[in-house]
Amino acid sequence: METENFENKLIQMTKPEVSQLKHQDMLANAITKAKDKSVVSWWWLCIPLYIIATLLMKTFFIPGTTLISNIQKLTGKEMYSSVLFFFLLPIVFITINFISIRKIYLLSGNPKTVNFIFSIWFNAVVIIFSMLVILIYLLKI
Amino acid sequence: MTEIELLHRIRNNPEDFSDLFNLYYKPIFGYILRRTGDFDDTADIAANTFYNAFIHINNFSYKGISIKVWLYRIATNEVNLYFRQKQKTNSLFERFDLADKELFNNYLSEDRIELEMELQKHKQFLAVLEGLKTLPVKYQEVISLRYFEGKDYKEITEILNINEGTLKSLLSRGVEKLRKKCNQL
Repeated sequence: METENFENKLIQMTKPEVSQLKHQDMLANAITKAKDKSVVSWWWLCIPLYIIATLLMKTFFIPGTTLISNIQKLTGKEMYSSVLFFFLLPIVFITINFISIRKIYLLSGNPKTVNFIFSIWFNAVVIIFSMLVILIYLLKI
Repeated sequence: MTEIELLHRIRNNPEDFSDLFNLYYKPIFGYILRRTGDFDDTADIAANTFYNAFIHINNFSYKGISIKVWLYRIATNEVNLYFRQKQKTNSLFERFDLADKELFNNYLSEDRIELEMELQKHKQFLAVLEGLKTLPVKYQEVISLRYFEGKDYKEITEILNINEGTLKSLLSRGVEKLRKKCNQL
């Protein structure tokens, strides 16, 4: 009974209303001219990509070496930076991309599967690539 | 013009987003104001909501939910984020290329004065809102949409992407908690 009365009170009480917003037109104009200024730049991907590319090239051009042996050599020489580039950075990329996919899902309404996959394909590629880097790194252990 | 036609127009010409903005800015602004009770936070959250909508409009797929519901969903997420972080939002207006910043700030100040006066006219609402803000966000969002915005169950389930059973249970528990909070105030 008390709860019902309280519910009625919530429905009947007056609420503040927005009648007119003078800043509305200027804001509309500014938003339609805005560009996406995300702090996460995909250019950061270039760092691990560059290292992977050099290792792949070394494997390809220097006879008798394999990707695993090159990674082992690098981890022997540069223990801390190899953990950073082959383990921590990929984990950061995986996390950022999962958050990004979740954000796209929340912002997309109820997306069709095909549309959703089309929207997140790049994030998915980065996640798969990062997982591969971690896998290659763990293989040397 | 239907929402689907408007969506097609925006995809062809992004500047047509201003039509969508003008259609829904006021109701969304009102919804956020009735959740936060603070003009400056509302202005920031509302701008963030429409900025996110503008950036992601091409990802929106017209299936099952309307643009209006989608905007309420983004606004709800933004407000929840604001409550979870329990801090003031950073002014998004700095990011925008406003034609005349001084004029914009003047308009914003005039709107602030008017809406702060409007808020003060509804003391009972402000007292209930104070109690509501102490509850977990899952109760805040359902109570706000149901009793402050007057949305029906169908609309709320669409906005929050939950089923009707969950909604009814959240409402029933939330109202009881709010009643106790308001009695304490």
